[in-house]
Amino acid sequence: MTVRRPTYLFALAAILASAAGCGSYSRPESAETQLSFGSSVAKKGLWREAAFRFQQAVAKEPNNARARNNLAVALEASGEYARALTEYKKALELDPDDNYIRRNYARFAEFYTSYTRTTGKTAGGS
Amino acid sequence: MGTPARWRRGLALLPLIAALLLAVPLGAGVSQVRLKLPLKPRLPLRGNEKIAIAPFIVVTDAERARDRRLQNVDLQAEFSRFLKKQISKKTKLEVIETPADLKLPSQSLSELGRATEFWRSVGAGTGAEIVVSGSIEFRVEDRSGYKTEEYVSPINNQTYYRQVYVEQTGFLFDIVFLVFDGRSGERLLQDEFKDFRQTGGRRADELAGLFENLFSLENQILNLFVAREREADRYIFTN
Repeated sequence: MTVRRPTYLFALAAILASAAGCGSYSRPESAETQLSFGSSVAKKGLWREAAFRFQQAVAKEPNNARARNNLAVALEASGEYARALTEYKKALELDPDDNYIRRNYARFAEFYTSYTRTTGKTAGGS
Repeated sequence: MGTPARWRRGLALLPLIAALLLAVPLGAGVSQVRLKLPLKPRLPLRGNEKIAIAPFIVVTDAERARDRRLQNVDLQAEFSRFLKKQISKKTKLEVIETPADLKLPSQSLSELGRATEFWRSVGAGTGAEIVVSGSIEFRVEDRSGYKTEEYVSPINNQTYYRQVYVEQTGFLFDIVFLVFDGRSGERLLQDEFKDFRQTGGRRADELAGLFENLFSLENQILNLFVAREREADRYIFTN
């Protein structure tokens, strides 16, 4: 009995963990799932794949500010600065009070202003 | 025995474990990520051109006789060496030596930019496809002075403000780049980069200050010729 008690606790904890972790992947068609998967690949630096996932999330929920923000970040990381600017603006329009989106936009605006000043281009990236 | 009591304690912890496990994905709604933003080169080059570094106009030459600290730095030589080294090391451009006695046709930046014939002759003489020149300015400034400082009194624990004398040295570096086509002598690009560094102490080393400035501008300078990256932090939503 003494050997099996911790085993039981760990087994239960593992079931709870997998239930919590896999919750969002149970609906592969949802924007939430695309957002979750996109952010996990983004953290690994796979920005093209992340951009595709966030684009899917935006297509499913065009008024989702978080998806728009993530898409903007992925586009920025891919060097598509003009498109990133459009997405940041849309995200901010949808949720003007979100501090994370505001910070992202402010930082991007600073970078983009300097980038366009030095390159003389308004459209960044392909 | 005590065993059932420990068993019950273990069971009592279960809701806590469950709550913690469920809270992790909910609480982790935002992540900070570091991006490496690609920066396209300013000049549309193949990447393996022959490049000649011509002398630069040293704006602070006139002040050099008066400022003892500027006398310790051969700005022209140090900058030229830095530029050649960085271009050779971090690009595939081939650095071509210019004649040691090459004299600029003017000490005015605007006239230098219009000296098409001169730059064409430099290109023809050296075989360089690109010729770089411009102006450089380096100043060492004594930034010592009184500054307001917060002070908490150990007697009454109240916060006061007091004036303290702080010794600081500022290093200002300003470069204007002129890039010419070695075949036609036409100006391809003009750009300016500035950097200011401040260090503690009145007697900070001027050569160390110069290189602090140069290394902070390195990315921007090289971005004239080759693609570079810039790091930036952003937030993404994870659910």
